[in-house]
Amino acid sequence: MNQPSDSILGDPLSIAVLPASTQVKPGPSDFRLSRLHRLADRWSHLLFLGCSLLVVALIAGILVFLSSKGLAAFLPLSGNTGRTLGFSEVFLSADWAPSNDHYGILPFIGGSLTVTGLALLLAAPTGILTGVFIAKLAPSWMRTLMRQVMDLLVGIPSVVYGIFGLTVMLPVISRTWLKDAPASGFAVSAMILAVMIVPTIVSLSTDAFESLPQNLDEGAQALGASRWQAIASVLIPAAGPRLITAAVLGLGRAIGEAMAVQMVIGNNPQWIALMRESTDRAPFLRALFTPAATLTTELVQELPNTPAGSTWNNVLFAMGLMLYLLTMLLILATRRLGRGAEA
Amino acid sequence: MRIRFLAQTVLATLLSALAAQAQTVTVMGSTALGPILKKAAEEYMKANPGVQIAVSGGGSMTGLNQVVSGGCHIGISDVFATPDQEKAGLKNHNIVVQPFTLIAHPGAGVKTLSAQQAEQVFTGKIGNWKDVGGRDQKIVRVIRPESSGTRAVQKKEILHGQEFTKDVLIQDSTGAVVTAVATTPGAVSFVELEHLEKNRARVAGIAYNGVECSNEAVKSGKYPVFSYGHAYTNPAKLTDPKVKQAVEAFLAFVLSPAFQQTSVLKAGYLPVDYVKSLKTQL
Repeated sequence: MNQPSDSILGDPLSIAVLPASTQVKPGPSDFRLSRLHRLADRWSHLLFLGCSLLVVALIAGILVFLSSKGLAAFLPLSGNTGRTLGFSEVFLSADWAPSNDHYGILPFIGGSLTVTGLALLLAAPTGILTGVFIAKLAPSWMRTLMRQVMDLLVGIPSVVYGIFGLTVMLPVISRTWLKDAPASGFAVSAMILAVMIVPTIVSLSTDAFESLPQNLDEGAQALGASRWQAIASVLIPAAGPRLITAAVLGLGRAIGEAMAVQMVIGNNPQWIALMRESTDRAPFLRALFTPAATLTTELVQELPNTPAGSTWNNVLFAMGLMLYLLTMLLILATRRLGRGAEA
Repeated sequence: MRIRFLAQTVLATLLSALAAQAQTVTVMGSTALGPILKKAAEEYMKANPGVQIAVSGGGSMTGLNQVVSGGCHIGISDVFATPDQEKAGLKNHNIVVQPFTLIAHPGAGVKTLSAQQAEQVFTGKIGNWKDVGGRDQKIVRVIRPESSGTRAVQKKEILHGQEFTKDVLIQDSTGAVVTAVATTPGAVSFVELEHLEKNRARVAGIAYNGVECSNEAVKSGKYPVFSYGHAYTNPAKLTDPKVKQAVEAFLAFVLSPAFQQTSVLKAGYLPVDYVKSLKTQL
């Protein structure tokens, strides 16, 4: 494990030669050289500081930009050609019809929460159990293979998942299960999102299980626990906080995903009303297979085509701001949980 | 090494000086109209080496917003400018005609819809293909998002200004619409004619009032559903007479019979002259 660091520190030559040369010749050239080094150190320090400040400035800049655009929906700001809205008609209304001056974004908030919740419900158990398998049960060749496959899965662009959902999953599910009714809706979107976030959850939970002290596992087995008992009652509880972190990070990825969901969810902003009114199928099927919409899908479809400064455009930016704050909240929650794990 | 670097610098300076001499006209907006404008730019620059035409996408609204603010010289759009944008003094040029057609999943079993049936299918009054002479199959309406130009055309021409039913599937692009119609039994939608031509193997065209959509039908005035592709300029921002002249010359080229009768037709649009007498405003 720590072989490379050993070879640097433990190399007899580097230790012997370097101090010797400085001791023998403390001439002015060496002095200049060390000054040069110090200067280089100074500059590189500034460079790194500059880079990190740039990143912070970027994030802050995005927040300022989103806020100025998003809050314009509620405040009479300059450059605002649209109407000023009240909070309740945006956040507490399910009526989204911008051409008729209705801007209720509840369907999108509800859609985002539902689809990510469902995806997590599918992905968290699968991912965590896969993590146990890779860390504790798999033979070593398989462990390497699985890790590589998971890394590969993370790298697949989301539009590929979307195309797969649109051209394969939707028709197959509609033919086999729904008597040819369209399958767009929460179910397929959640399945696709689950496939997308499983790799994240798997690799984080594998790390969590691998970092557990070996003696926990051994102790449980010495006390007579079976393999399954050791996993279920010792390993999983011990890795608990880090598993929750893994799940929350997966959630963060799911809630921000736009492309793949947009292709399969059906993008219907009126889904709440539609679900309530339609009576042609069982409530269970209606909930899973009614075309719906989320914050991200609505943004990706409408933002580029609405005039800047209009009420419609401003509300879309407010949705973007909300998504940003939601993601921030999730990241903060993960850090909090991560700190809990260390303590 | 140093000499080469110097030579490069000199060359670059010369080139940029030359480029500054050339007039640059920027075109921005609709991705649907982009290819035809790019073709026009290519041909125009070949004939007029002193002019640079830069065409970029971004969507109709981006094009309109940019031409209002002076961010580009010509804004291309599938839709008319909003009243607010009109107020800025934009000037409209209809550059091409775009025929639209109804399409359906091949299994629907319906070849034609009357104007009233088409309207009722999308307002939700008709919900099953058997009510319009097809199979017993639920109608699945696939439409574009609210801000789409195609949806605006559909609402005006097919629904005669009424609202769409709530029971719809929405797809972001015409390509996705075609795929959704091809893979969803009972699906019906509304697309540009060229997309039907390209996908005859996957989706079925539906005649409107008994007339199948084709260039000839539009030309003869029998087929009424089409829209214009627009190029907007903002005279208030074209203060430099040289730029103004270049912009006008380029638009004149786009509207010239030589370009309209060849490249416009080849790209799946119709020349503006064909229907000039039929409709002045969509």
